[in-house]
Amino acid sequence: RSMNAFLIVYLCILISKALINTVLKYVWQSEPFRDEPWYNQKTEPERKRNLFLQALTDFLAFMVLFNYIIPVSMYVTVEMQKFLGSYFLTWDEEMFDEDTGEGPLVNTSDLNEELGQIEYVFTDKTGTLTENNMEFVECCIEGHVYVPHVICNGQILHDCTGIDMIDSSPGGSGKEREDLFFRALCLCHTVQVKDDDSVDGLRKNQLSKPCIYISSSPDEVALVEGIQRLGYTYLRLKDNFMEILNRENNIEKFELLEVLSFDSVRRRMSVIVKSSGGDIFLFCKGADSSIFPRVKEGKIDQIRSRVERNAVEGLRTLCVAYKKLTAEEYSCAQKLLQNAKLALQDREKKLAEVYEKIERDFILLGATAVEDRLQEKAADTIESLQKAGIKVWVLTGDKMETAAATCYACKLFRRNTQLLELTTKKIEEQSLHDVLFDLSKTVLRHSGSLTRDTFSGLSTDMQDYGLIIDGAALSLIMKPRQDGSSANYRELFLEICRNCSAVLCCRMAPLQKAQIVKLIKLSKEHPITLAIGDGANDVSMILEAHVGIGIIGKEGRQAARNSDYAIPKFKHLKKMLLVHGHFYYVRISELVQYFFYKNVCFIFPQFLYQFFCGFSQQTLYDTAYLTLYNISFTSLPILLYGLMEQHVSADTLKREPSLYRDVAKNALLRWRAFIYWTFLGVFDAVVFFFGAYFLFDNTVVTSNGQMFGNWTFGTVVFTVLVFTVTLKLALDTHYWTWINHFMIWGSLVFYIVFSLLWGGIIWPFLNYQRMYYVFMQMLSSGPAWLGIILLITVSLLPDVLKKVLCRQLWPTATERIQNASRHCREHISEFTPLACLKSPRYRSSDCSHSPARRSNSHSKKMMFTHWRGIDYSVLPSVFGYSNKQGRSRAGYRYSGSGLETSV
Amino acid sequence: MAVNYSAKEEADGHPSGGVGVPGGGAVGGGSGGAVKTRKPDNTAFKQQRLPAWQPILTAGTVLPAFFIIGLIFIPIGIGIFVTSNNIREYEIDYTGTEPSSPCNKCLNVSWDSTPPCTCIINFTLEHSFESNVFMYYGLSNFYQNHRRYVKSRDDSQLNGDNSSLLNPSKECEPYRTNEDKPIAPCGAIANSMFNDTLELYRIDNDTKTPITLIKKGIAWWTDKNVKFRNPTGDGNNLTALFQGTTKPVNWPKPVYMLDTEPDNNGFINEDFIVWMRTAALPTFRKLYRLIERKNNLQPTLQAGKYSLHIGYNYPVHSFDGRKRMILSTISWMGGKNPFLGIAYITVGSICFFLGVVLLIIHHKYGNRNTSADIPN
Repeated sequence: RSMNAFLIVYLCILISKALINTVLKYVWQSEPFRDEPWYNQKTEPERKRNLFLQALTDFLAFMVLFNYIIPVSMYVTVEMQKFLGSYFLTWDEEMFDEDTGEGPLVNTSDLNEELGQIEYVFTDKTGTLTENNMEFVECCIEGHVYVPHVICNGQILHDCTGIDMIDSSPGGSGKEREDLFFRALCLCHTVQVKDDDSVDGLRKNQLSKPCIYISSSPDEVALVEGIQRLGYTYLRLKDNFMEILNRENNIEKFELLEVLSFDSVRRRMSVIVKSSGGDIFLFCKGADSSIFPRVKEGKIDQIRSRVERNAVEGLRTLCVAYKKLTAEEYSCAQKLLQNAKLALQDREKKLAEVYEKIERDFILLGATAVEDRLQEKAADTIESLQKAGIKVWVLTGDKMETAAATCYACKLFRRNTQLLELTTKKIEEQSLHDVLFDLSKTVLRHSGSLTRDTFSGLSTDMQDYGLIIDGAALSLIMKPRQDGSSANYRELFLEICRNCSAVLCCRMAPLQKAQIVKLIKLSKEHPITLAIGDGANDVSMILEAHVGIGIIGKEGRQAARNSDYAIPKFKHLKKMLLVHGHFYYVRISELVQYFFYKNVCFIFPQFLYQFFCGFSQQTLYDTAYLTLYNISFTSLPILLYGLMEQHVSADTLKREPSLYRDVAKNALLRWRAFIYWTFLGVFDAVVFFFGAYFLFDNTVVTSNGQMFGNWTFGTVVFTVLVFTVTLKLALDTHYWTWINHFMIWGSLVFYIVFSLLWGGIIWPFLNYQRMYYVFMQMLSSGPAWLGIILLITVSLLPDVLKKVLCRQLWPTATERIQNASRHCREHISEFTPLACLKSPRYRSSDCSHSPARRSNSHSKKMMFTHWRGIDYSVLPSVFGYSNKQGRSRAGYRYSGSGLETSV
Repeated sequence: MAVNYSAKEEADGHPSGGVGVPGGGAVGGGSGGAVKTRKPDNTAFKQQRLPAWQPILTAGTVLPAFFIIGLIFIPIGIGIFVTSNNIREYEIDYTGTEPSSPCNKCLNVSWDSTPPCTCIINFTLEHSFESNVFMYYGLSNFYQNHRRYVKSRDDSQLNGDNSSLLNPSKECEPYRTNEDKPIAPCGAIANSMFNDTLELYRIDNDTKTPITLIKKGIAWWTDKNVKFRNPTGDGNNLTALFQGTTKPVNWPKPVYMLDTEPDNNGFINEDFIVWMRTAALPTFRKLYRLIERKNNLQPTLQAGKYSLHIGYNYPVHSFDGRKRMILSTISWMGGKNPFLGIAYITVGSICFFLGVVLLIIHHKYGNRNTSADIPN
């Protein structure tokens, strides 16, 4: 983006150069003996030309002469670098997911360097942070908790028909309710059964008929499978009869009468079935908020508290209720439904009304809890991103408690995070205005005293804020108001958000997600935003953000297809941003700056030469040099740099997320850097030109007394130029593979070979032979050699000096790491670079940890399962604890296991 | 996309499919069977893990380099400086702008004045010139590097191409044809060829002994033998070969009468070739004659009185130009050029100085940085 600004500057320089030269030319030519001395007369038509026209031609001629300052070849190189560079992303083995057999996809290569500039990450929760791999965890019937403890790593290891009863065994009526509950879960769904022997051998089903459940909602599948483990197996839907295999291995048949299908407004669904005994039941399941108001009896309080506890743990909860219908009631309901279904107008609305009428006066049976496990290393990834100075926002459609628990689990919120709530509930208590002002006061009071440094993720015990906002509150904020002061709320909201390290937006509609992204994108700092999601509901947000990333997940490929990049898992985002993004950015910024630099070096001597050749647009270099400079003498080394450079190793970047801050906010392409490069270019150009000038000025530089002409002069300048520019790149290269060596030294050799060849023969197809033997003659002259060496040294000196001084006196984090890793390589080989810098906690690599971690996570999981009944509030503090103790080795292990622990 | 990438891998010549991935896993979707894996190859290149040398410019590495550069450059600079100072050079401006100058009478000479205006300048060499002496003429304020001038030549004509001889390139305008005859050699450069004659006499007790001036070997060997060639045809009679062409407007004689010796006549006349190599800057000098050392006992030019006889034909006053005659000896590094020596000494000293400064900084700040970073 800044490239275009730089180009405009260069265009201005170009035009002003041409203007200066044109004006000077006419001033200089005002004396006729200069304009047309006797030895150099104009042709008749030239003489007759209109002065104005002549000036215009001269101006354009100067433009042509200096046009190389606008590096056209840069665009080609940048495009090639981006295109070829994106292959490294797809080739990355670490970003390949073994389970799904998917690697990252790059749908566009235009945004590679933006990956290194991300300031806001907007992530979906379900399927992105979590695996979207539902597991039935527990159910609560009449206040009794049932846990099938047979889940391990997402696979059913053994089928267990027993039930863990934590509470005392239920009484007679309880038994009846229990049966009803299980039947309700077995019946109230839209799951289809797929009988298939060949499809999935891994799903070990001990039933005679292995079957898979398919549904649009993974929750339903999880529920049906969970119930299966509790002894009730849903077999199939045949001829409108639902067949259930109950605990006594008897098949029960229910006639499916009506399905009141799920929608996101009602947030519930119902079925009406007729049992073999002739009883008609209406089973309903849905979100707690939509069920409880419709319940007339049942142990509401117990179940409600259970549901809330589960939600706090991040489980997705559903409540189940039923109602027995008499035949009359049913026929009445059926009639209503029939009418509504047949309505020609407002069918949706009428159906909703009918549903409203039918679904009431329930008897509450119980609640279920389904767990959506966090994705592997999600917490680690989020922590890294936050350390890298990226603000992570979670946008989800889930309810607040569930989402907040997930956020705790993935370390978006820490124990010491002060949560600010901006929810409908709070707005109901106070006015939106007051809430916003209160929040901003809290936030700003602190941020005033906070310096930039304390914001660094390395110090975990600083006060940070997490904001929770829900969809309704957001729409209130975003809603344009009559008095036109809506901008105020938005500004205030943005101000609060900016000071929060983490923001959770729950109960979001897909369009609201996009709205939030847009709000941040268009805020006054214009941060680069990234949206990541897996489902169709994230597409709008993915399209809205600067960089859209799709997870190749379970909810289809829609997100992946609409995204700029697609990755198999959320954890890959870490490497994508911290390693690839960082590399891409460093590479492209050097590439752009270097291109400007080398063209300034190239063209500025031409400009200076005009002062010595009567402003006659005489070129300093031969045409072949002019043409090939950008094409072959200096293009390949920088392209290769753009592909291969690793200023620090990928492992270090991954381990040390804070390095990302070094390149944040376009640090390497700011005006300061740009001016530095330009001045370096000008300095070098002045050195080249005046070095050669004083070398040649009215003196002899050969040992046989013969003289050199203007082309030798140009060749000396050009040789110094090519060598300096290439060696400058060599000095900047931190990663010398054999390819780099080959390209850098190769292009210098190519220049020499080409020059020898170009001057070596009389080229029959050329009408001038100006370069004939010029290069060889130059090489035969001692002072030319000495001069070339001297000038190269002088031009490289300031840059080397600047680099060394900056590194010594004001080292950036990156440079410190480089120094340290160098130190390490030299002295203690078994330590990783970071170990030298920080603490020994990362001593062994990730891979060696993982087996231990896995086993750890299993035991921990079991532990959590059993802890559940005891203490729930311990959870956030557990994570906070592990955070705080992160510096010790034991603590690291603990938090490491926490990454995979589901909540 | 999927098709693209797998196709790409095959095109790369790395057939994928080495590692079988257990399909499906817990997903339970339709991903059964042995799906052909798209796992990227674990090659060092693709994983960006090529073995690499990772140099970092630190004070530690740069310090020795600075000292070495300083230590190498300063002696070289001193060597060059001394060499340059040992070179004898004598320069006479004979433009004649000052009324006292003997050449003042010729100041407004025109091209075709016959007989040529001559003037004599006497001078004294304080020191003898020991080795071979090179005689140069120098012009100032003469823009040989003007674009219109530089391109005004036809290299194929000069290379002996017969068709170009009779039909010179358009670039030669307005010096392409004269009275409907093609000019040979065409173009502004050739037309404005320097045509002063310089003769050197040694004055010994009022007798003038002429000093032998050698006119061969002043042009590049390749120019004389390859780049410049006379037109080819029957016989060696240059007059016949240049038949159908006319002389450049300003020349008194046609090109085939530049010299009496056949191997220094026509396009291969060395004075002509020297002039045709356009100078880089408006003040320049060009090699005119060589004075060879006769024997080892005597210096080439003894200290003493000399006189320079000038056939003043070349007008420079109209464009404020100056004309000079330069006598110079030559070393391995050419003529007198104090710049290179001084520059080497300066750069060497700067490097040395910077080395010292860096050393101090390195010692003062180097330890602080490393200790601050290692807490344990």
